[in-house]
Amino acid sequence: MSNLLVDVRELNLWYGKYKALDNINTSFTAGKCVVICGPSGSGKSSLLRCVNRLEEFQEGDVLFEGQSLRECTNIASLRSEIGMVFQHFELYPHMSILDNITLAPRYAKKKSKPDAEAHAYVLMERVGITDQALKYPAELSGGQQQRAAIARALALEPKLMLFDEPTSALDPEMIVEVLRVMRDLAMEGMAMLVVTHEMGFAREVSDEIIFMDEGKIIERKNTEDFFSNPNSKRVQDFLDRILVKI
Amino acid sequence: MDWNVIIVNLPFLMKGLWMSIKLAVLVICFAFPIACVMAVGRISNRLWIRYPSAIFVNIMRSNPLILIVFWFFFLVPILTGRPVGDFASVMIGFVVFFAAYFTEIIRSGIQSVGRNQIQAGLSTGLSYFQTMRMIVLPQALRNMIPALITECVIVFQGTTIAYVVGLREFLNSTFLVTERTLRPAELYIFAAIVYFIVCFAGSLLARQLEKRKVIT
Repeated sequence: MSNLLVDVRELNLWYGKYKALDNINTSFTAGKCVVICGPSGSGKSSLLRCVNRLEEFQEGDVLFEGQSLRECTNIASLRSEIGMVFQHFELYPHMSILDNITLAPRYAKKKSKPDAEAHAYVLMERVGITDQALKYPAELSGGQQQRAAIARALALEPKLMLFDEPTSALDPEMIVEVLRVMRDLAMEGMAMLVVTHEMGFAREVSDEIIFMDEGKIIERKNTEDFFSNPNSKRVQDFLDRILVKI
Repeated sequence: MDWNVIIVNLPFLMKGLWMSIKLAVLVICFAFPIACVMAVGRISNRLWIRYPSAIFVNIMRSNPLILIVFWFFFLVPILTGRPVGDFASVMIGFVVFFAAYFTEIIRSGIQSVGRNQIQAGLSTGLSYFQTMRMIVLPQALRNMIPALITECVIVFQGTTIAYVVGLREFLNSTFLVTERTLRPAELYIFAAIVYFIVCFAGSLLARQLEKRKVIT
């Protein structure tokens, strides 16, 4: 277990009286792509957001490389090791794409401006938006914006990437371009946690799949087993509903 | 109509206008930074910060400006045994009163920037302070500029209240000249034109900036 990256221990999260996460125990290793799926309101995004403590959990703990998030006093520096991609991109609308990508490297990681920009161009090349560098987010298509957001997260040179429904806000023809970037990342060995309904992506790219419902992990299996012989009835029902059969 | 009274008394009237402008500018300069701090307090998660600012804002917004000026002009001297003075009591009264209104404008400006923008900033390892300064406030400011300018125009109009404690701002000066020359029609028409020019220019500017906001 030397490459253990994230260790989630007896994690409980409430929103007021509503229990969003119910005693979650799980772990993620470096180099693996894990997809988290399940019906809406099942706690997928909450779990994801606990991993970089954007969500302040009340009980239990999450360890990132052995470091307790609960006890962590410099959460900002820990977060700069973890990239995050949001459903609605959340690019900064008042900055160019280049500035969006270089902001955190410059001000959180104290990189020089030329270094940060040079790296940003490498990343933009990688996600295919070099031509958009000096444009503002509103001038880009949804797919381009999400790829820019991925570049922004990668600019941290993260050890882990979190994707929170990265294609849910996209038109169908743009979903593929984002999924391709994500697939390439996974193939390069980036550790990824992906909350998504794209079961095609899950099947093709992920190493493991976690199924959640009502704040609990119902099933965790490697991808092939998950689709070929799911244990629980709930997973079977979910797959029947989500894999559209005509 | 004898418009000559205006020309003859112009230096005196302009001194009054200068007082009004000075008052408005000073009030804005003091009220705005106070309001920035209070606005951040209003949205704080910590109740001991949020409640005092909320109480202050709500008390100020539930009282007429003139009453607040009276507090400082009449009540504070009774409590301290020392007069505050007309300019100072108007200044303090205006600053606390308009700070409350600016607070609400700034608060709604900050809240107009989605919570997710804050989360995006934090997720990249920027501190809360950096996120506010580099991501939230620039967007908030752009969203609230029209409302801020409108409020500044209201401050300028509000300076007429200073008249009740005898401060010689523009309206009071006009009144004094009227008393002396018995020419109210000309003088009050002139006063209306001057207020209109200043305030309408402000509204135009606000509308212009609002249009620009829509495009970007």
